[in-house]
Amino acid sequence: MTSSMPQPVDRSADTLAKKPPSTPAYRRQAHISTIGARAFLLEAPGDFDLPAQRRIWALARALRHWDDLGEIVPGMTNLLAIFKTTPEDPDAVTARLLDAWERAESIDIRGKTIEIGVHYGGEHAIDLAELCNRSGLSAREVVRLHYEGTYTVFALGSAPGFGYLHGLDPRIHMPRKTVPSLNMASGCVTIGGMQTGVAVLTGPNGWNSIGFADLQMFDPTADVPAIMAPGDTVRFLPERIEL
Amino acid sequence: MIEIVDAGPFNTIQDLGRPGYRNIGVTASGAMDPLALKIANLLVGNDEGDAAIEVQTFPFRLRFREATVFAVTGGGDATLDGVALPPWWMQTAGAGQCLELRPSPSARAYIAFGGGVDVPPVMGSRSTSLRGAFGGIDGRFLKKDDTLRLGEPAGTLPVDGLGAVPPAKALAAFFPNAPDGTLLIRALPAGEHDLFGADAERFWSQSWKISSQSDRTGYRLSGEPVRAPASVEMRSYGIVPGVVQVPPGGEPIVQMSDANTAGGYPKIAGVVEADLWRLGQARIGSRLRFVRSSHAEARTLDRALADYVEDVRNTSQMVARALKTIAGR
Amino acid sequence: MSAVDFSDPATIAFLAAALQAAGVDGIEIEQPARKVRIVVERDAPGAAPLVQTLQTSPGATQLEAVTAPMAGIFDANHPDSPAPSSEPPREVGAGETLGFIRVGSVLLPVKASRPGMLTGRVAKDGAVVGYGDPLFEIELRP
Repeated sequence: MTSSMPQPVDRSADTLAKKPPSTPAYRRQAHISTIGARAFLLEAPGDFDLPAQRRIWALARALRHWDDLGEIVPGMTNLLAIFKTTPEDPDAVTARLLDAWERAESIDIRGKTIEIGVHYGGEHAIDLAELCNRSGLSAREVVRLHYEGTYTVFALGSAPGFGYLHGLDPRIHMPRKTVPSLNMASGCVTIGGMQTGVAVLTGPNGWNSIGFADLQMFDPTADVPAIMAPGDTVRFLPERIEL
Repeated sequence: MIEIVDAGPFNTIQDLGRPGYRNIGVTASGAMDPLALKIANLLVGNDEGDAAIEVQTFPFRLRFREATVFAVTGGGDATLDGVALPPWWMQTAGAGQCLELRPSPSARAYIAFGGGVDVPPVMGSRSTSLRGAFGGIDGRFLKKDDTLRLGEPAGTLPVDGLGAVPPAKALAAFFPNAPDGTLLIRALPAGEHDLFGADAERFWSQSWKISSQSDRTGYRLSGEPVRAPASVEMRSYGIVPGVVQVPPGGEPIVQMSDANTAGGYPKIAGVVEADLWRLGQARIGSRLRFVRSSHAEARTLDRALADYVEDVRNTSQMVARALKTIAGR
Repeated sequence: MSAVDFSDPATIAFLAAALQAAGVDGIEIEQPARKVRIVVERDAPGAAPLVQTLQTSPGATQLEAVTAPMAGIFDANHPDSPAPSSEPPREVGAGETLGFIRVGSVLLPVKASRPGMLTGRVAKDGAVVGYGDPLFEIELRP
């Protein structure tokens, strides 16, 4: 059923691969827009980088004390604030959010470190060859650059427990596929633009797979269902390299 | 105990969903028409958010293993052992009786039972997450020969046969349609609205057809494409049901109850929450037009819906008490 | 007495006031086709009187009034019903829903208690009716 409605996913990833970013990344100030009458989206100005994301984390933390908020959804240098009821004065909400943003000091979440064993190459690495073509690097080099990186969980989203990982070596950035793979396996280790991540659901996926990790990233029955949390550090361990 | 006798795909157990987990990527799910779900529950004396069956593939048949109070709301022409039930109706079925739902002009029917459908809650909800494969019955849709346990009925109304005036009638003044039947859906411009330039006006002025590629995840609309003059670069952002996104092809997608938690397409509008139940009842092939709204109007609609739900809750209890008094005379 | 129309709330109110003034609890009135009992509540002056249609008198055509189960607004059709239900005379079964009483946003069914021929409709759509007001007449099968 979901294949009939492939969810548009993160395109921030395509930024560097194409032309320089246009709207809204050029904005000098935080920008607020609405989705429906109850959800307000704050987009941070400036680049898509760790300092901006740290302020988003700080903002998310500050908003936890707002009683009229039902849900806070940090995205990629942006944050969606969902109110429990329709605010009477949307301008006042915008002013409150901008004020909270101005006050949000960059915070460094001291998250845990997660080590993920990866089987690089092999049957699941369906896009490794294309990544080599594009980067001009050997498969061994691509894999090495991937497992030598230290990554930060920017945010969770898209699918249950899926972490957007920041810190990918620019040499192995690769834009999302224009035609998604229809049935990529849960566990595939993927690259989408300047980010990497581990697929948590089997299904359509536009990211590029270079390996496989046998790790359950999400358990709906657990007290803490998602293994990753924003600010966590992730390292990939090359358990096996099959090229 | 309820036994599913005949069910096509995509009929699921739903309650009001599991909001609050979008920040870990978990879709809220929940009834596509939360208003119908609430009324069905209130008519059988449940809490408004108890779990019920959402039927969107017809016909659908179930059998009652014992006497059971049930209600059918939303769409679906219902018969109990072949006897037609009025729309938005509560009734008591005897053991062995069979409830059948056939298609009606509304897309989705809700069947609530006294005590609610008793499946284990996952992350605070019994809603089925098909994509996440959890909730409901193992995260899947209902199939023939499934049996459902029901909870202990709490405040079952001691009357046989009671209904609600359907909201389309009771609230007609607040939720009008165009004279030709086109669904009018109130929305507010979203973040990238103005980047669509002149095309933005065409987004509002034309009527869109709900394409066959539409389901609980979202509705794809077909019509004359709307495009932004320059490519719009988006960073992945959190989304909610009702967001209207425009992929490069120019035909909008309205995300619905099973939508992903994050998206990256430019968003041209967002449906006001009070109109989502009507969108949830819109059928494939039907037409809708977006109407620019305001926060003030959204609040008026919120209040109208809340008043209606409260009226059904209070009046059904009052009526039940009065009938009991009369019967005791 | 046969000229008295017991579906008229004003008549009932007049009779009830007269009964109350006279200090009696109720009265039974026989018409050719039926017997009506009006009961006033002493504890609740001003409350709508209870009107019950009792059995029809022997020998006459077996007519039964289907009465309002509760005070509210009567309509023979469900608000969502595309077509009006067929007008009398027509055969009805026991338990068949003949119309609805609306109280706020809630609908109560008006049901035939016994099978027979629906011969008459007493109340108009949209009429405000009291508990026990006759809404339909059914000619019972012998």
